[in-house]
Amino acid sequence: MNTFLILLPLLLTMLYSLATVPLLVWMERRIAAFIQDRVGPNRCNIGGIRLGGIIQSVADMMKLVFKEEFLPSHIKNKFYYLIAPSIAFVSAFLTFMVIPYADNITVNGQIYYMQALPTELGVLWFLAFAGLGVYGIILGGWASHNKFAILGSMRATAQVISYEVAMGLSLVSMLITYGTIHLNEMVTYQTQSFFLIPAWGVIIQPLATIIFIVTAFAETNRAPFDAAESESEIVAGYHTEYGAMKFGLFFVAEYIAMAASGALIVTIFFGGYQLPYMTTNDLINNFETILWGVIIFAVITSILFLRWMNKNNRFEFSSNGETKIYTTLIIGFTVFTTILMAYYALGFGETHKVGVMILQFVLFTIKLFVLHFVFIWVRWTLPRFRYDQTQKLGWNILLPLSLANIFITAIVVVIGVNYGN
Amino acid sequence: MGIKVVHRHGNTFKEKMYISAIFSGMKTTLKHFSANLKDASQIPTVCYPDEKPTDITPRYRGVHRLTHRKEDDSIACVACFMCATACPSNCIDIVAIAREDGVDEKMPKVFNIDLLECIFCGYCVEACPCDAIRMDSGIYSVVGETREEFVYDKEKLLSIKGISKEEYSLAK
Repeated sequence: MNTFLILLPLLLTMLYSLATVPLLVWMERRIAAFIQDRVGPNRCNIGGIRLGGIIQSVADMMKLVFKEEFLPSHIKNKFYYLIAPSIAFVSAFLTFMVIPYADNITVNGQIYYMQALPTELGVLWFLAFAGLGVYGIILGGWASHNKFAILGSMRATAQVISYEVAMGLSLVSMLITYGTIHLNEMVTYQTQSFFLIPAWGVIIQPLATIIFIVTAFAETNRAPFDAAESESEIVAGYHTEYGAMKFGLFFVAEYIAMAASGALIVTIFFGGYQLPYMTTNDLINNFETILWGVIIFAVITSILFLRWMNKNNRFEFSSNGETKIYTTLIIGFTVFTTILMAYYALGFGETHKVGVMILQFVLFTIKLFVLHFVFIWVRWTLPRFRYDQTQKLGWNILLPLSLANIFITAIVVVIGVNYGN
Repeated sequence: MGIKVVHRHGNTFKEKMYISAIFSGMKTTLKHFSANLKDASQIPTVCYPDEKPTDITPRYRGVHRLTHRKEDDSIACVACFMCATACPSNCIDIVAIAREDGVDEKMPKVFNIDLLECIFCGYCVEACPCDAIRMDSGIYSVVGETREEFVYDKEKLLSIKGISKEEYSLAK
């Protein structure tokens, strides 16, 4: 049990970062298609089962893994060329290590953190490794010995110095507000409420939220700040000379960085794994009531989903009864989980702590995927910033705004501490 | 002289803020997304080959066909070589013989169209004085495994049905 509780957050980190990448690629392509009135990938199947096209991203990954690993002969610094994608990948992966997926759980008097790296330096670790990810891009572009690649990495360099300051400063105002750099305590802070409004970061610090989200887009190299890659101007930017899984690592790193940024935004600004108004103890004490709510929510959701799927699962291959298989599976799964939850909701089980932990995982995942949707939605809405515009935005607008925000926050906090109550 | 004053956008404070423009843009994309998510059948994409195109009209230049005469259902072609002469890619091969049944003077003994050489320009249809060759079959996909399969002979061309109202040759 103890070993399991230590390994669980590590396992979840792997799950959230690596296993969601095919899902994110699929979401990206399907949402882009729907925004542009297209259909998106929906043909790839294993025995007629398409899962709405998720199989396509699995097939893409297989292709990248089995492609020939070539090394262009003009490259002098082979070591740097080969290590660059690994830097981008590893640092994107490591940023995920400090995100709390659920509240600390106490078993037999010992506290287990639900973050892969049980450190209290949460935000600092994130900033360090998120910044390091860009070094992989810069190094890759330089080592490729290619004009387009070096242009791409120059743009990445110019971009990184223009947004990282504003990013750090917007976080400083959040640290002043919460009075801690420990991510888990930040989430605990956000369970409070004032005047019946949940004290989420987005409500008490809207300006910092906007600045942080904008800079998070820049930091993950996603549109509208994907000048380093800009495929319409400089071929593919920093990864022009990369093929097969070396390109795949850059590609995966971008999505993991997006997932990690999304996780941090959820944690700092959107209440993390918590329901508004409810602390973990409230959840544990009212577990039965909450479970009934979850049961009703799950049943209604699956009924709505079934109706939606039967209407919209178009282009079914001949007559393998794909929709019927899904319907059976979903009904079976819903009945199974409902019975399981009803067992605990009627008061037979005693593992409320574990139940609350699972509930918090689910809440965190839902919030995370809503934020991923926003990331993708923005990418397919906004055109790319020119790279001087990015710098102008970073230095002239975001930096003064975040500085002003720090001053105002500090004044409010000092007044609140000294003259409040 | 009238002077047209062109309004320059992007100078007001609201426009410099970007935020309102960004949100209105995101509203538009979300509208498309949610409409397509709610009802996937309204997406205009045709998932060929599971779905076949529905907009093939008689004017679509598909595979050629040879028409029949209305009176006796015999071949309408009189082997005048106009189509073969007009053809820019020389894909029509005709051998003429005299017609013995008294309906007309000549008819083709051989009428081959090599579809691999044909560029589907439709000049043969325009050149034909007897409305004997048409491209209104509506067939947009021709497949085969050998080159010989793509050479359509007289019998094959006569057997293709058209999708236009006029089944027979309209020539008087």
